[in-house]
Amino acid sequence: MKEGVYVDYEYLKSKRLLLVDDQQELLDMLISILKEEGFNSIVTAKTVKDALALADSFQPELAILDVMLPDGNGFSLMEQLKHKGEYPILFLTARGEDEDKLKGFGLGADDYVVKPFLPKELTFRIMAILRRSYKGENPLVKLQNSEIDFDRAEVIKNGEHITLTAKEHDILAVLYRNAGRIVTIDALCEAAWGDNPFGYENSLMAHIRRIREKIELNPSHPVSLITVKGLGYKLIIRGK
Amino acid sequence: MRSVPKLIRRYISILLLTCVLLIILNFVLLAILAVNQAPNAYPWKTSEEVAAALQLIGDGEYALPESIALELKNSNVWAIYIDNETKQVIWKTDNLPKTIPMSYTISDIASLTRGYIDGYPTFTGKAANGLVVLGYPKDSFWKHMWPSWDYYTIANLPKTLLTVFAFNTALIFLIYIVANSKLLKSIKPIVNGIQSLPTGEPVYVKEKGLLSELAININKTSEILQSQNNQLRRKESARANWIAGVSHDIRTPLSMVMGYASQLKEDTHLTDEQRQKAKVIVKQSERMKNLINDLNLASKLEYNMQPINAKSENMVAIVRQVIVDFINMDIDDTHPIEWETDDFLTICPVKADKALIKRAVSNLIQNCINHNEKGCKIYVSVAVDKDKCTVTVADDGVGVTDEQIEKLNNTPHYMVCDENTTEQRHGLGLLIVKQILAVHGGTTVIELSPYGGFSVKLTLPIQES
Repeated sequence: MKEGVYVDYEYLKSKRLLLVDDQQELLDMLISILKEEGFNSIVTAKTVKDALALADSFQPELAILDVMLPDGNGFSLMEQLKHKGEYPILFLTARGEDEDKLKGFGLGADDYVVKPFLPKELTFRIMAILRRSYKGENPLVKLQNSEIDFDRAEVIKNGEHITLTAKEHDILAVLYRNAGRIVTIDALCEAAWGDNPFGYENSLMAHIRRIREKIELNPSHPVSLITVKGLGYKLIIRGK
Repeated sequence: MRSVPKLIRRYISILLLTCVLLIILNFVLLAILAVNQAPNAYPWKTSEEVAAALQLIGDGEYALPESIALELKNSNVWAIYIDNETKQVIWKTDNLPKTIPMSYTISDIASLTRGYIDGYPTFTGKAANGLVVLGYPKDSFWKHMWPSWDYYTIANLPKTLLTVFAFNTALIFLIYIVANSKLLKSIKPIVNGIQSLPTGEPVYVKEKGLLSELAININKTSEILQSQNNQLRRKESARANWIAGVSHDIRTPLSMVMGYASQLKEDTHLTDEQRQKAKVIVKQSERMKNLINDLNLASKLEYNMQPINAKSENMVAIVRQVIVDFINMDIDDTHPIEWETDDFLTICPVKADKALIKRAVSNLIQNCINHNEKGCKIYVSVAVDKDKCTVTVADDGVGVTDEQIEKLNNTPHYMVCDENTTEQRHGLGLLIVKQILAVHGGTTVIELSPYGGFSVKLTLPIQES
């Protein structure tokens, strides 16, 4: 684990990946991209049959599936894989229709990437899934002036442990999942109060103020939880 | 069906007019005939004249002036003069038929005045000492022998006439209504059929009754329309499917181009120049990717094959999400986006397909980026004006001429244009924006930006709460 980095990247990159696609060239390219990114434990399958066999012998920790396979489709393959073990699944397919995406997500896919894709985008999404799925194994989140322990729902500032309320925890969790990126006011409201498209903006501001009192040295001049005027908020994490 | 009562009104007025005209015509004809009949009193007059003209020329001898005698002779009319005292014929014309008696009783005279002597219609005129009787040729006149009516018949004649007229009119109307209601009954399904033809729904009219031939033709027309529609739909689906298939098949090969080029771009073993080339390949393959996505969506929207999942959405939230996605992606900060929406406007309810509206707004922002490679500021705002919600995406970049704006607003895209043209049209991105706004009942207006570049205004109706 590198000094100051909030996530154990090496650990995540040691995860076992299963790639399923019927085209050898694409598999080769995926391996090349992922190896360059630091993933070392990768196996590939070109058919549903091979994939199911590998799922037993290799015990993958993340599967990347194409939808259209010579002896079946990725959706049903996913369902079969889910019976074998609890691990995240990402679809990588040329089927870009919204219905296909919704079907994939509806069946429990963790992400859905439409070809063609930029290697960076794919690796970003893989890392995001791994981070989410294996978060129990990552330690405290380090901010400029404090640390967040999501498992215990508390903030450690100057050696003092401050409890987070449920809403504060939910809001911080969304911000943390998108660390370094802006999260819209609406997405934060949805995370805290569910899918109600209207309202709650003022309540959100109140919660943000209270979170700042807990995580910032000077809540009037925040350095970790930044406002992007009119749009949303951004959580800055040390070392990122 | 508004036309049918109108039709009935028109027919009734025509019918009324017909009746009025008939009455007028009858009166005129009657008048003309009556005028022609008026001289039919002339045999009586002639008799009076003859009686007046008959002169005693001495000792029981009478004579007619030559002119009158000639006239009588020419008309083949005979005349006798009956003496008041003796009831004997004391003068006669030469052409008197032998069958005419030479003496008369009073009852004979009453009878000849009313009618005929031996079939000759007779007319009388009063002379000095007797009666002049003219006998016209047989069958030249018809005499009414019992010219008497009940007094009230004559007195009530106007009333009687009116009643007769009223009965006539009523009968005509009755016949008209019965005949027409039958006709209307058979017309009604046909009118209904014709009126539902333009809706494009299949039409079937029962093929019986007076107008069965029309019904058959309407049914045939409907069949033809249906089969044409089906063919058109099949063709459109085939075209949309074709585009979807091609774009699907391109995706995997393009993935490999993009993937390897991206790796080469980052490969430190290559020279800067080589990496620059790889960068161009990546950029152009990204453009191809966008083009494929656009082409597919545009064809689906054009051929109504894109499912629209319209729900209650907050326009402010949708636009905010699009901007944040761009800001999160724009690593080198060459195209900063300014949020120009009023701080107090946090909710703008619209009924919309969130994914499509996001696509429209991000197409506009992407346009600003594509057309201003050296960078520009992008200004996005949401505003509410009465019952309309307006999203504006503007930039301070290179912009376009007024002429180009005119074209962008009004010229159809090649995808939706049947003219064969090689002229450069605007990209698919803007077409999709227009299509998306159209399916949401909104409008797209392209104009010069107040910030010096290009600006597009999207307007959507606000959803009633």
